[in-house]
Amino acid sequence: MALRHTSLRNFCLLLRSQPHSRSTSTSTPRSSVSPIELSHFSALASSWWEPHGSSRLLHLMNPLRHEFIASCLTSHPTASKHNTKSLRYLDVGCGGGIFTESAARLPSTAKVVGIEPSREVINVARAHACQDSMLLEPGRLEYKHACIEDLALPQKVEEQFDVLSLFEVLEHIEKPAPFLAKCLPFVKPGGWLVLSTIARTWTSWVTTKLVAEDLLRIVPRGTHDWGQYVNERELRGWFGKQDGWGRDGCLRTMGVVYVPGLGWRMVERGESWGNYFFGVRKD
Amino acid sequence: MHVWDALSSESKIDFSAGENGRKNTSAIAYMTENPNLTRALLARLESLEPISSFENAKVTSIDLGPPQDSPGTLNLSSYPHVTTSSSTSPLVARLLIGADGINSPVRTFAHIPTRGWDYDRHGVVATVRLASRGGSHSQIEEAPKVQDNVTAYQRFLPSGPIALLALPGDYASLVWSTTPEQAARLKGLDPADFAAMVNAAFRLSVVDVDYMSKMPSGQVDELAWRLQATDVPREDETKYPRIIESVQEGSVASFPLRMRQADQYVGERVALVGDAAHTIHPLAGQGLNMGLADVASLVRAIEYSVSHGGDIGVQGNLEAYESEMWMKNNRMLGVVDKLHKLYGVSWWPVVGLRSLGLGTVDKFNGLKGWMMSQAGG
Ligand SMILES: Cc1cc2nc3c(=O)[nH]c(=O)nc-3n(C[C@H](O)[C@H](O)[C@H](O)COP(=O)(O)OP(=O)(O)OC[C@H]3O[C@@H](n4cnc5c(N)ncnc54)[C@H](O)[C@@H]3O)c2cc1C
Repeated sequence: MALRHTSLRNFCLLLRSQPHSRSTSTSTPRSSVSPIELSHFSALASSWWEPHGSSRLLHLMNPLRHEFIASCLTSHPTASKHNTKSLRYLDVGCGGGIFTESAARLPSTAKVVGIEPSREVINVARAHACQDSMLLEPGRLEYKHACIEDLALPQKVEEQFDVLSLFEVLEHIEKPAPFLAKCLPFVKPGGWLVLSTIARTWTSWVTTKLVAEDLLRIVPRGTHDWGQYVNERELRGWFGKQDGWGRDGCLRTMGVVYVPGLGWRMVERGESWGNYFFGVRKD
Repeated sequence: MHVWDALSSESKIDFSAGENGRKNTSAIAYMTENPNLTRALLARLESLEPISSFENAKVTSIDLGPPQDSPGTLNLSSYPHVTTSSSTSPLVARLLIGADGINSPVRTFAHIPTRGWDYDRHGVVATVRLASRGGSHSQIEEAPKVQDNVTAYQRFLPSGPIALLALPGDYASLVWSTTPEQAARLKGLDPADFAAMVNAAFRLSVVDVDYMSKMPSGQVDELAWRLQATDVPREDETKYPRIIESVQEGSVASFPLRMRQADQYVGERVALVGDAAHTIHPLAGQGLNMGLADVASLVRAIEYSVSHGGDIGVQGNLEAYESEMWMKNNRMLGVVDKLHKLYGVSWWPVVGLRSLGLGTVDKFNGLKGWMMSQAGG
């Protein structure tokens, strides 16, 4: 965590290697997020929006998130065009608001809610949104210092969301299955749950465990819990068992690879190499 | 397009349409006068609804916005606030585009340094009217009929190139790069002597041109006398532009020639385009073309940013423009700078190599094609 050198921090983020450990303690009984994770992200808060800071790679990846979501939304045979202000987003683990802000700016967006368990980080997000008058329009963007468990379950379809996003969140969650289950009720029928995370593969083991920890020592040994990474096949299997999700082939995955000098690229069938997008539609 | 070197008659190059590798093109490039372009752009702007323009307004200052009042309120401290001579309250810019020329106030505001140098040369420009071939000037009787005014001519004189670029009708645009002293003298000539001086510069020997340019007046008579003494073979007449009959009133102006490249084209909430980002020697006529290419590239970056929810003022979202154009423009600046230096030398070995250079290029259609597609933009 005390990594000073920006490029090393970038590398670290690239590998999705924020220190996290399988802590046995829990923060609040309702939270799926460990206190160690929380303090790590709080420490990163101030640099969230620095153009060359630790979140640079996330900034660079952000446009691809929109392209992936757009490909999901238009994939269903009954999909209609979302030209007008109609879509509602719930960004879970919104961090400093990189995706949240950008979703709120799109002309097709009606409202975005971003939730984040770290108070420092959500305050960074709130402060940053003040730099854009568009984001301050009433009802367009709302930040909540909360976990998914804290939100009241939607009572009617208008309270649900067209897109529930979990970007770079799953790998920080100790028990992904119950966490995902808690997210499902927030998605509107016909809406999508979209996430990005990192696969638990030999390539990610080499880059995050062997290279980053053992050879380069850019992160302290034992920082990664490679075992906590979730594979696309596991997600696919889990959603296969959920009733009412992913019919009509509406379960999509896409690998996403960082090519130095070129930036992030989407790679079809690249989901088993490392970073990948995953989207599934509620029937 | 016909280009030749005043110190070496062997050294010439001809470009004609069809050599540039493009199919179905009937011309290498098109010339348009700046006022026409400006008029068309202004008309287009007017047709776009939500655009406000401020006429006869000068930017008097650019500052960052005031600090945020209190947490949770709009924070415009990173937004440029532009004060103009015609408005009372500042214009607040999410993205401020500096298209404000070589001394760009926007670039100064953004603290973006530039690199480059001043050529000890001025560019004299004018719009001129051409006589018809074999027309009023008796020295050029019965010159062979050639295509009407469509060829561009450029002659490299030791003090710099002189170029005549075809305009619609019998008009042409003159760009003459020369020493500041000679530029001042040229501007001081009466229109008839000025026209005679330009005719001399395309036709007479370097020594003659030099001599005439130092005369305070009387170039008309001097040219008539010297042309009689100069044997211009008839079939070669098409190698020269048509005789210049008159100079359009008020069109003669001169500009110092400089080379500049800004270290960066983008900053936080700032983008530079055109001469604000780079200034080039006019010998290849690339200045405006480069600016137009900048704008096309910047528009692509902005469109991408908007369609992906980005804030178009954020530097990271503008970097695609800089990475696309900076190196490209840098290469063009370098090539044109080398050309200027090469033709500014009258030492004989260089002149010899030069003639070999142009002659060699003339024989290779591929290389010529490349040069033409660059000149055509
Ligand atoms: C002698 C000569 C010959 C040339 N010949 C050719 C040629 O044949 N072909 C070609 O393509 N290019 C040619 N060029 C280059 C071409 O003229 C320039 O590249 C082009 O004009 C640059 O356009 P621009 O809009 O970036 O800058 P400019 O044309 O310099 O425009 C900048 C504008 O900003 C305005 N401005 C500046 N400060 C302020 C302020 N504080 N407030 C308000 N407004 C302000 C100025 O009034 C001006 O209108 C030539 C240049 C020279 C010097």
